[in-house]
Amino acid sequence: MDAWFQNEVTYPHVAQEVLDAADSVRATLPNKYCDPEIAANLFAEAIDEYLLCDDLGINVICTEHHAGINSLLASNPMLLSILASQTKNVRILSLGTLITLRPDPVRVAEEYATADVLSRGRLEIGFVKSGLSEYASNQASPIDNGDRYWEAIDLISKALSHQEGVFSWEGKHFTHRHVNIWPRPYQPTLPRMWSATGDPSTAGDVGRRDMVQVLVLRGPEGTKTAFAANRRARAAAGMPKPTTDRFAYAALVAVGDTHEEGVRMGEKLMWFLNTSLRSAPQFGPKLPGLAPPQAAPGLYRTKPAAAKPGETASAAANAAALMNITAEQAMARGIMFAGSPDTVHKQIMDFHEAVGGFDHLSMIGRSGFMTHAETSKSMTLFGKEVLPRLKEVKTVTAGYNQPD
Amino acid sequence: MTNATALPASGNLLIGDIELEVVRRGVGQPMLLLHGFQNIEPDAPFLDMLGDHASIIAPSHPGFGRSSRPKDVETVYDLVHCYLALLDSIPDEKVSLMGFSFGGWLAAEIAVKAGRRIDRLILVDALGIKISGPETPDIFDVFNKHPDEVRKRSWHDPAAQAPDYDALSDSQLANISRNWEALCRYGWHPYMYNPQLKRWLGHIKARTLVLWGASDGIVTPAYGEAYARLIPGARFETIDAAAHHPYLEQPRAFVDRVSRFLKS
Repeated sequence: MDAWFQNEVTYPHVAQEVLDAADSVRATLPNKYCDPEIAANLFAEAIDEYLLCDDLGINVICTEHHAGINSLLASNPMLLSILASQTKNVRILSLGTLITLRPDPVRVAEEYATADVLSRGRLEIGFVKSGLSEYASNQASPIDNGDRYWEAIDLISKALSHQEGVFSWEGKHFTHRHVNIWPRPYQPTLPRMWSATGDPSTAGDVGRRDMVQVLVLRGPEGTKTAFAANRRARAAAGMPKPTTDRFAYAALVAVGDTHEEGVRMGEKLMWFLNTSLRSAPQFGPKLPGLAPPQAAPGLYRTKPAAAKPGETASAAANAAALMNITAEQAMARGIMFAGSPDTVHKQIMDFHEAVGGFDHLSMIGRSGFMTHAETSKSMTLFGKEVLPRLKEVKTVTAGYNQPD
Repeated sequence: MTNATALPASGNLLIGDIELEVVRRGVGQPMLLLHGFQNIEPDAPFLDMLGDHASIIAPSHPGFGRSSRPKDVETVYDLVHCYLALLDSIPDEKVSLMGFSFGGWLAAEIAVKAGRRIDRLILVDALGIKISGPETPDIFDVFNKHPDEVRKRSWHDPAAQAPDYDALSDSQLANISRNWEALCRYGWHPYMYNPQLKRWLGHIKARTLVLWGASDGIVTPAYGEAYARLIPGARFETIDAAAHHPYLEQPRAFVDRVSRFLKS
């Protein structure tokens, strides 16, 4: 198993009374509350943490979010290029430029090719469907977001792999009549591609495309369901059974010298769920096209309904269910692994067993008021005492212990 | 697209492969009525009143209400051509055209293209054009702003007039959701206007009434006045105690204004 670190560079330094008075901490909160001096320090600390991971053998992930205290990483390629040039050892995953919000996938391909060259072939490319307040922040229609997602991925893949001069793309959502990117990627074949999704339909597409599927904060039930949908789609398409290197899970992770210290740090990570997810109703699940019309009664009358057994909750419903819980509750739900090196290792392996295996643990290792020093300590303990044991976990057939 | 050859007296209407649900009411010269954010409910009181003055044909746009939307029908261009084909199926030489809100945008586009076929044009709190500079949104953003604010700006007396979602049936809520999705598909970008329409409004041949809810906060009366100034000879009138839906908020006053205009 590999481990990957991410710091979304959250911005917790807005007065609580300001946050309480705002209807949303995303998209609409005025940026006068973002002190650029503090932001500069947060970026500098984040880069230090990533470089520490490079020394510890923990791969790194660069994310993207827009216009909110939940993340200052509005421009994925900016941090990606820094990591590509300053790290020397580990793999780098962009997860990712939000392609359904960007008008020109060819530009994204150019950025990725450049990052791959800068890193001398250490780039992995992840795609996230985005949504909610980010449609407003980026002037992107919520309608046909999924169609744009796959068309952009197709165009980016072609631009990154085509080496014989100009090709033309006149698709449904994107048009680029003269594509011929320089530089081409450093890696001789298309860099490994990832997709972050929990919904079974998209999971099927991810499986058929043989991408790495990453589930973010979904807990064992949602993860099992989505992984199974991936495997079923592959089987239906006549593809061989996937191995666990095609699956990843992202959780909040904090490691202390003792279990109690790790949980205390984990409690600080909870800011991400309890404070930074709060969003105004116009950026919620009633956004046009996000849910089928038959779901309207639940959406218009009440809060998002919980998923029934065997279903995976929508991203919005999942976000709503994550707010206002404690670290202990988060650990019980399998969205946080916190404690001492031993207890964290056990939590990870229990989860691994529960969902039928995965080869990639993506760690949200800093958030909210967790300090740089705490993060560095947590990741150092993880890298030295947990990671070697995870490295012993071999790649096997995915879902090896599942009924399908 | 295959045009319908003749408008049937009842039932749904086929425009090529698009099946439109149609509300019909009244007698007299045909009036094509194009709805706004929501399709026209058959029990809306203004329909019977207006039916005394015109033969109303009120289709739900493709993707709204129970009208179908073939996958490749996805722009205002498609809707305009759908309704031009529908106009072809109406045997009468002259037709009145009325559009509410988003349907007002469609009506303005159709009036430009259909020329003298349109006898009278009535634009009610219509969208469709850009008047102000880049930093002044003319049309309130119903998708990106808080729903409470949208409600306040849409209705003169929201407590009395705005729909209460808790009181609506499952099928009514599903219908609202379907309409919302279709509206977003057609109107997201540029947001509810065609940057080219303004320059062609001067070619409208129909006698035109631009009618506005005096309290409309989605598109203000000032926007309506500017709209009217771009259409040769257009009259601009407001209806008191009404916002973005004067036909629902003040149906009697609304129908009085429209019928007076039709007779003038």
